[in-house]
Amino acid sequence: MNELWSRPIESLAPDLRSGKLSPVDLTEAYLARIAAVDPLLDSFIHVSADAREAARTAEREIAAGRWRGPLHGIPVGVKDNYLTADMPTTAGSTAEGLAFPMRDAATVARLRAAGAVPIGKTRTHEFAWGNVTPPVHNPWDLSRVPSGSSGGSAAAVAGGLCAAGLGSDTGGSIRMPASACGLVGLKPTFGRVSRDGIVPHSWSLDHAGPLTRTVADTATLLQVLAGYDPTDPACQDQPVPDYAKSLGKSVKGMTIGVCRNHFFDGLQDDVARAPAAAIDDLAKAGARIVEFEIPLLAHGLGAIFAIELASSTAYHDESLRAGRVPQFQPDVRTLVEMGRLVTGADYLKAEQYRSVLMEAFSKVLATVDVIVGPTTPITAWKRGEWTVQVGDRPESVLAASWRFTYPYNLTGLPAISLPCGFDRDGLPIGLQIAGRPFDEPAVLRVAHAYERAHDWKDRRPTLTVE
Amino acid sequence: MEPDDTFRDLLGLDLPPERLSEVLAAYRDILDGIRALRSLDLTDVHPAVVFEPTAPYRRGGTDA
Repeated sequence: MNELWSRPIESLAPDLRSGKLSPVDLTEAYLARIAAVDPLLDSFIHVSADAREAARTAEREIAAGRWRGPLHGIPVGVKDNYLTADMPTTAGSTAEGLAFPMRDAATVARLRAAGAVPIGKTRTHEFAWGNVTPPVHNPWDLSRVPSGSSGGSAAAVAGGLCAAGLGSDTGGSIRMPASACGLVGLKPTFGRVSRDGIVPHSWSLDHAGPLTRTVADTATLLQVLAGYDPTDPACQDQPVPDYAKSLGKSVKGMTIGVCRNHFFDGLQDDVARAPAAAIDDLAKAGARIVEFEIPLLAHGLGAIFAIELASSTAYHDESLRAGRVPQFQPDVRTLVEMGRLVTGADYLKAEQYRSVLMEAFSKVLATVDVIVGPTTPITAWKRGEWTVQVGDRPESVLAASWRFTYPYNLTGLPAISLPCGFDRDGLPIGLQIAGRPFDEPAVLRVAHAYERAHDWKDRRPTLTVE
Repeated sequence: MEPDDTFRDLLGLDLPPERLSEVLAAYRDILDGIRALRSLDLTDVHPAVVFEPTAPYRRGGTDA
C-alpha cells in the first residue's frame, strides 16, 4: 500500500505540494507500472511521449511556489474518445478514412490548466458503443471484462497505472466499469461538465466524468472538470460549488430513497446482498430510508435504445454512406446500421417519455435527498461470454449490465458508483447513488460517508507480474 | 418484414438482402422495448429536447 502507484490523489497531493514527492518521480513510477503491468491489462492504446516533460514543468512550478491545486503533477489517463493535442485519438476504431483533430477537449484543457499530467489514452469500446472494451482485461480477474465503454480507464486506475481516469457515460459507461473494477465513477448532471472535444455517441445522453479510487478524488476531479462552456450547447451556466465541503459529513438527518421496482430486478445473489447491507448501514448511520416505486421505468429500455441508436446512426451517417461502417467491429457495425430502423416517431416518443420520467423522479426527489441501489445486477463477466446466470436463468449481458444505470442518462441526474463489497469470486460490487440535478454535493456526501465506514477502497487487485 | 429495394431506400441502408435480414433479426429484441414505449399514451407531453433558437447567440458565462 506504500507504493506510489497505489496511493489515491488525496494522499499524493499534499506530498506533491510540500515537495516531499516529485511529480517526475510519480510519473516515472506510473510509466514503469504501465510498462510492467499493461501487457496484462491492455488498458492503454497510447502512452504519452510528453508526460515526463509535463511532470518536469509541474515540478518546476511547485518548487517556485506556483502550486495550481490538488491535481498539480497528478498523472491521469484520458479515454480515447477525448481529443488530445499531443496524442492521437481513435475512439477505439481502426476503420480507415477516419481522422480526429489534434486538439484538446475542453475537459483535457481544464486538466492541463490544473497541472495534471495526461499520461496516455485509455481504450474505449469502439465509439463508446458497448460494455466490454476489448481487448482490456479486468485487474481483479484477467479472464473477465472490465465492462465498458470506459473499460480502459477503469482497468488502468484499478491496476495502479494512473491516479485517475476520464470516462464518458451514455448509458452507464463510467459507472458500469467503475462497479466492475472496484472504483468510484461519477456521471455528473447533464450540462455540468462540457463534452466539447469528446467524440459524440448520443448527444442528449453523453456525459463526461471521472473514475478514481476514492470519493474525495472524484470530488477533486469534478472541481476541475465542472463549469460552463458555451462550445457545448448542452452545458449549463450554473455555479460550481466547493465539492470538498461535501466530504466528511454524516448522513444523519438525510432522507435516502430506495426504488423497489426496476432497480432491484434480476440481481445475482451476492449483488442483491451487498447494496441491501449498504442501505442498512446508511440507516444505522442516521439516514431515514424511504421506499418508493416508479412504474414508468418498465418502458425505459425502448426509450434509451431509440435515442441512442438513432443518434449514433445520425453521427455515423457519413461513414454509412462512405461504406466505412463494415470496417467497424461486428457488434458496433450492427448497432450503427440498426439505428436506421428507429422511426422518427419512435425517437420523439422516447423524448416524450423522458419528460414524464424526469417528472416522476422530480416528485420523488422532492421528498428524498438521494436515491440508492445497486449499480449493476451482475459482477464482471467472463471475456467472450454474452449471457450470464442470474438466479436460475441465463440473461444477456447487454440487457443486464446497464439496466440500473441508463435511467439516469435518460433523466440527466447525477449518479455515482462506489464499491460496496465483493462477490464469492472476489469481484467488486457497486453501489449507485443518484441525486437532484446539480446536487452532486449530496451525492458525494452520502458516498463519502459510506466509503469512510468501510474498507472497500483499500483493497487492491493482485496482479501476478508483481 | 421482407427486405426489398424500396425498404432499403426507405432506410437509406445499402446492404445486401442477407445482411439486412441479419440487422432486422438483431433489432427484434430491441423492438420489444420500443413496442412497450409505443404503448404509452403521451399525447399531451412535450418532448424533453426543446428547440432553443437563442443557442447560437450564447456567449461567455459565469464560470463560478
